[in-house]
Amino acid sequence: MKQSAAEILREYGPFPDIAQVHGLTFDGENVWFASGDKLNALDPETGKTVRSMDVAAHAGTAFDGQHLFQIAEDRIQKIDPKTGDVLTTIPAPGGGDSGLAWAEGTLWVGQYRDRKIHQIDPETGKILRTIESKRFVTGVTWVDGELWHGTWEGDESELMRIDPQTGEVLEKLDMPPGMGVSGLESDGGDQFFCGGGNSGKVRAVRRPRR
Amino acid sequence: MDSLITAAARALAAGDPLGALNRVALREDAPALALRGIAMAQLGDFDRAKILVRRAARAFSPKEAVARARCIVAEAEIALVSRDLGWRVKALDAARATLEAHGDHVNAAHARYLEIRRLLLIGRLDEAERFLAELDPTQVPPASTAAHELIVAGLAMRRLRTKEARAALARAERAALQARIPALKGEVESAFHLLNTPAARLIARGEERPLLLEDVEALQTSKAFVVDACRHVVRDANTFVSLARRPVLFALARALAEAWPADVPRATLIARAFRGKHADESHRARLRVEMGRLRAVLKKLAGVNATKQGFALTPRSAREVVVLARPVEEQHGAVLAFLTDGESWSSSALALALGASQRTVQRALDELSAAGKVQWFGRGRARRWMTPPMPGFTTTLLLPAPLPSD
Repeated sequence: MKQSAAEILREYGPFPDIAQVHGLTFDGENVWFASGDKLNALDPETGKTVRSMDVAAHAGTAFDGQHLFQIAEDRIQKIDPKTGDVLTTIPAPGGGDSGLAWAEGTLWVGQYRDRKIHQIDPETGKILRTIESKRFVTGVTWVDGELWHGTWEGDESELMRIDPQTGEVLEKLDMPPGMGVSGLESDGGDQFFCGGGNSGKVRAVRRPRR
Repeated sequence: MDSLITAAARALAAGDPLGALNRVALREDAPALALRGIAMAQLGDFDRAKILVRRAARAFSPKEAVARARCIVAEAEIALVSRDLGWRVKALDAARATLEAHGDHVNAAHARYLEIRRLLLIGRLDEAERFLAELDPTQVPPASTAAHELIVAGLAMRRLRTKEARAALARAERAALQARIPALKGEVESAFHLLNTPAARLIARGEERPLLLEDVEALQTSKAFVVDACRHVVRDANTFVSLARRPVLFALARALAEAWPADVPRATLIARAFRGKHADESHRARLRVEMGRLRAVLKKLAGVNATKQGFALTPRSAREVVVLARPVEEQHGAVLAFLTDGESWSSSALALALGASQRTVQRALDELSAAGKVQWFGRGRARRWMTPPMPGFTTTLLLPAPLPSD
């Protein structure tokens, strides 16, 4: 297993009237982040929020190229990013749903204290398979066939790449003490966006080169 | 980090404990237990709340030190509000240190306020004042500022510094308005009400009149010879004698002061001091002995002279003799003084606060209950005592959020 310190490239926020950043995703242009009762679009170039939509947003966020998916309470909402309308909802897999990612036509849901990642059917919410991680799972993301998730327990937080078959930890990026990762998304290139929980911040972290 | 926990925490913060419970009712993990505990506390089920936050503290991993510490602070607050004063002060202090070390200064200050409120309730005013002086009310959220100023006011009222108390209550009122917590505003209002309600009775030259706290304060600096039946002390401008542990001498001093400048017949003195119906020769002998003792302790304050039919008081320097008494005199005044704060007490907490045996307190409570002056709820060890609702210092729950992510 490779282990190194996470390199923080940039910090965004805190933003006015936003106390916490839960899940986040990237639509190719803006970072969408959940802040409890709003989804907010952040332009990572300027660092300014450009839009916000009133929608319950308590944990993970994902983007399938067309729609936003957002966990609220015990369900996953499918949202039209143009109007902010909730189109459909499916049940979330379990009690402690945390991170959310889109990949291979399915949704991936992190369960925080259960240390699990479920792959679910985006139409029905049916669990297709479950990966056991060794650590608390916050944000989840797929990039170039790599499965990454955030973990946050007390003062310690890390980004970890795990084997999607066995759950074995392959690589670890240690966040600086006191900096937590509540949501995770790659920009498809060489950086991750991380939700900073109660710091109210969004951070960009360098993704290790292959 | 966890959708349902976030939703439940938001419901709690918005004052909807039932909404919070609905979301985490069936979950047994640490954050859910903590949230359920705090929701139960807000709903007034303190026993269940205490068990839940204690379980939560154990369920958080050793790495989640802040979450654990917050649960311990919450448990202490629930204990304080339910007047369980026997809780683990050391655990609270350790939790406070942990919060401070992890940069959670707001909850660390909250923990300190709980310690101070406990000291205030068990009458350790000096320690409470010392701790309070170390805290800065401008560095905490408005709700804590209001709590801080209420404590300042409570201390000032107990120390008979009414101007200071009024100023602190005015600051508390502003902070409570800012905090937008109705219960806190209510506390400030009832504290103001307390300041504007007669705090004592003055008996002088056979006449009585009610005194506000300000008048009592003014009396402290007057040159009168005062027999204080609220604190069981005797004093003038220069000298102070406590008779708290000498009830017979105090009863005699009070009887003499009430009659001043007239004298008091021996039979009356015997009846007041010994509760004897008939004064026989042995009572007269005992009265002579006690009068000798009283003369000795009051030496600097007043002379105690024998007259034809009894005894009379002659103050040394004071021109006036007055008695300061409770607004309404009744038995078990000390027990009632604690219960009139409007909260519910266990008999063991009362015993701890009064420094009396639990059996003595239980007897007093039974008598007061029979007279309809106190009421109780709960059974067995969970039984709590309170007076019928009246204004006083209550303690609003300002429980800390259990989760470091919140």
